[in-house]
Amino acid sequence: MVTEDSRGEVVVRLDGVRKEYGETAALAGVSLEIRAGEAVAVMGPSGCGKSTLLNMIAGLDRPTGGEIVVHGENVGELSEKGLALYRRRRIGMIFQFFNLIDDLSALDNVALAAQLTGTPARQARRRALELFDELGIADRQRAYPAVLSGGERQRVAVARALMNRPALLLADEPTGALDSRSGEQVMDLLLDLNQIGQTLVLVTHDEHLARRCASRLIEFADGRVTGEHTLEPSA
Amino acid sequence: MRAVWRAARAAVRRRRLQTLVMALVTLTSTAAMVVALGLVDAASAPFDKAFDRQRGPHVVAAFDPAEVTDARLAEVAREPGVEAAAGPYSQATVELPDGSMSFGLGTEITVVGRADPEGPVDRLDLWAGRWATRPGEVVLNRQSDWTADDLGKRLPMPPGGPALTVVGFAFDLSRTADAWVAPEQIDALRPTATQMLFRFPDASTDDRLRAQLATVTDGLPADALTASRSYLALKHQVSSSARAYTPYLMAFGVLGVAVAVLIIANVVSGAVISGFRHIGVLKALGFTPGQVVAVYLTMISVPAVLGCALGTVVGNLLARPFFGFVFTGPDAGVFHDTVGLAPWINAVTLLGMPAVCVLAALAPALRAHRMSAARAISAGSAPRAGRALGVQRRLAGSRLPRSVSLGMGLPFARPGRSALTLAAVVLGVTTVTFATGLATTMTRFGEAGRDAYQVTVYASNFKDGKEIRPSHDDRGLVALLAGLPGAAEITARASVDVRLTGSAHPVILEGRRGDRPRLDSVLTDGRWTRGGGEIVAGSAFLRQNGVRVGDRVGLEKGGRTERVLVVGEFMESNARVVIADWPTLTALAPDEKPIAYHVRLRDGADPAAYARAARAADPGITPDLRGGNSITRTIIGSATALTLMLAVVAALGVFNTVVLNTRDRRRDLGMLKSIGMTPRQVTVMTVTSMAVLGAIGSLLGVPLGMAGHHLVIPRMAGAVDLTLPAYMTDVWRAPALAALALAGMMIAVLGALVPARRAGRLTVAEVLRSE
Repeated sequence: MVTEDSRGEVVVRLDGVRKEYGETAALAGVSLEIRAGEAVAVMGPSGCGKSTLLNMIAGLDRPTGGEIVVHGENVGELSEKGLALYRRRRIGMIFQFFNLIDDLSALDNVALAAQLTGTPARQARRRALELFDELGIADRQRAYPAVLSGGERQRVAVARALMNRPALLLADEPTGALDSRSGEQVMDLLLDLNQIGQTLVLVTHDEHLARRCASRLIEFADGRVTGEHTLEPSA
Repeated sequence: MRAVWRAARAAVRRRRLQTLVMALVTLTSTAAMVVALGLVDAASAPFDKAFDRQRGPHVVAAFDPAEVTDARLAEVAREPGVEAAAGPYSQATVELPDGSMSFGLGTEITVVGRADPEGPVDRLDLWAGRWATRPGEVVLNRQSDWTADDLGKRLPMPPGGPALTVVGFAFDLSRTADAWVAPEQIDALRPTATQMLFRFPDASTDDRLRAQLATVTDGLPADALTASRSYLALKHQVSSSARAYTPYLMAFGVLGVAVAVLIIANVVSGAVISGFRHIGVLKALGFTPGQVVAVYLTMISVPAVLGCALGTVVGNLLARPFFGFVFTGPDAGVFHDTVGLAPWINAVTLLGMPAVCVLAALAPALRAHRMSAARAISAGSAPRAGRALGVQRRLAGSRLPRSVSLGMGLPFARPGRSALTLAAVVLGVTTVTFATGLATTMTRFGEAGRDAYQVTVYASNFKDGKEIRPSHDDRGLVALLAGLPGAAEITARASVDVRLTGSAHPVILEGRRGDRPRLDSVLTDGRWTRGGGEIVAGSAFLRQNGVRVGDRVGLEKGGRTERVLVVGEFMESNARVVIADWPTLTALAPDEKPIAYHVRLRDGADPAAYARAARAADPGITPDLRGGNSITRTIIGSATALTLMLAVVAALGVFNTVVLNTRDRRRDLGMLKSIGMTPRQVTVMTVTSMAVLGAIGSLLGVPLGMAGHHLVIPRMAGAVDLTLPAYMTDVWRAPALAALALAGMMIAVLGALVPARRAGRLTVAEVLRSE
């Protein structure tokens, strides 16, 4: 989350980032900057490398070349443990297919993110409950992922992503697996989060989502940035 | 078919580690199975196999040549009731001169005139030299552990007897003679009987053999048949030593087979279950259910067939020297080259083990066959209903590090998979517990009574065919042996043939005198003797004679009779042996002198140096360094080898299950890493989850192994008329049990460590994408 003072600072800087899988280049020298408090949507056709870009920023994968600096930390130079700590402290990640642990209740799924940092269980659950309240799923805290609707699952995933108050919220097709009503709810949620200062990067096919939630649109094709537009805030 | 093969090949390539582990499990299991089946086969009837191979005679009959001619006996051999016969052979009894070298044959030997060692009955094993073909030559009946250096030496004959040179050594399990000469030679030895060797169609009991012999000799004069001996008596006598340890080897064999089959079934079914998602994808691609099953069976068959083939080769390579070591020697009652793997064993393992693999794969594969594509695909990735709510919640709220509490909760979340892992650990720990217990029992059995000495000094020696008597008398020898450097205790032993009053059975009365006359380590009931008039008897003696501890029995020797009290029972399967104090022995045989002195050395003393010093001090004695006999070596060697083999098979089974388990959790691991779990935390979590199963498995496996041991061992010993002392069955102590339990956990932890570290290094994006 950003404060008024930090708003506008560059929090993510990519400089000539490349990622190759054998002969195939998923990212072919991407350079871009993301500022604090921005909501950036990355759009492009399937296989253009937008999810790879998000994975690079999240520290889920390492670039083949170039530099990724997030909050002054060169992500590519971090050790495996360093990457884990980076993800824990700086990043909140939302996946298309939620990636919740089936064997844990919704509350424990969310609390887990804080517990991994050493936060005591009681404190972690208290924080998780606050998020459940904020996201309107307080009544589902004891439920398991299998019995939640798609929208509810994604809200739990958002709560988990927000648990450690990340500087950067990354969302990979967050409405891609949801019906239109649940998708709308998640869109509203992301918009609200951005409006209270959460920096947001989302990868999507959905132009409606992009226009609704993002202040800037980056067009992506063949592993490159092909265009950039500032979007008008939606009503 | 091409598509099936391609899909199976791709699956094998994709699961290299799993395929390798499966191949290793089948290899070690098959090798263990080959050895185990071979053991069961060889241990089941070593005498019968050797006897059949020699076409041994069911009845050895002696006829009076004055009453019946050779021609008439040849007619008897052709009677319809005779299956096969050999003879007539002239038979002489020769008393060797006192004090001469007898090649271990005793002083009175039976010599038979026989033209060749072959024939329809009693095919001799001529293992050194050649057959006696002319006068002046003799072949001695010795087992192959006898030295062949004595070829060319003279067999001492009584005055007036012919000069006989040893030209060969042959082994005759049936003991039809101590020596053979050419038929032209036998008349010079003044034969007194004619020997006939018969095989009959029904050799099941002594009575039936007697009846058949009576039928075929019915037409002979009444006094023609002077003696006959059934092979059943010989069988009991020869195999008494082997019988004592056969049950233990058999138990190991059966255990090996059971473990091999169970581990294989566990590993293979686990592999198929973990591939459900792949099965779903294949179905979605258009593979028919039958093709899907074929893909999985092919995928399993590749490592299974490879492992089975290599395992059979390895098993054969291991079995031959192992059996050579286990089943030869005078105590085993078989020949030097008769023990090997029966062809059916290789056939059974080569066909049976892949069949076990296919059957184990078939059940889960058929489940996949029935499953819809969507359900199969979602088996690995779709959300499942949450399980083990209480455990997970309590652990999540505990003060434990989250990686540890998550790990502890994992086994409860997937009960099916955990049950499979637990089964592998329980099986492994039970096996190792049972096997180590059995090995300890066998070791203690083999060493029973032998801890008391390191050197046995026999009170006689032979040089150049002549017996040399010790230059010291009995008391002088004790003083001499006690005075040599390193000696700590001297115990003299003598044995004498006596008779049990009211019974025709001969009894060997053994007497001990000196520093350690008691053999407490073999006592199973009552107490050891405290003075004259008391004996301890073997379990078999008591059972066969209907005597109990506390009874009084009479022992007779010549004109002397002693009433003795049976004060204890000791572990002995030879029904003829009883042990008494020295005064009891000398009361029956006053002139009896010790035949051997057992010497226990001080700690650190060199037995070889002691033996050299003893030999130098009196050339008339023979020091023998062998503390244990061949049975002891057999028992300890086989128990150790088999325990190790079973432990490896069990550990591999656990390892494989853990690898599959970790593979199953790749998506969860990737997700946990995506929210900040460090590689170390991933490793801790995975290892903890397996340590929990390892601990539970050990807690179940150790008592199960102990219960199996307590149940099986005394019964198997009882089957051969043996009662084991308590210290041989109560083999476990708390530290050993703790070590066993820890071993189970360690196997699980070590098995988890490799895949856990791999999981810790997973690239998150790759896992989440691929899953």
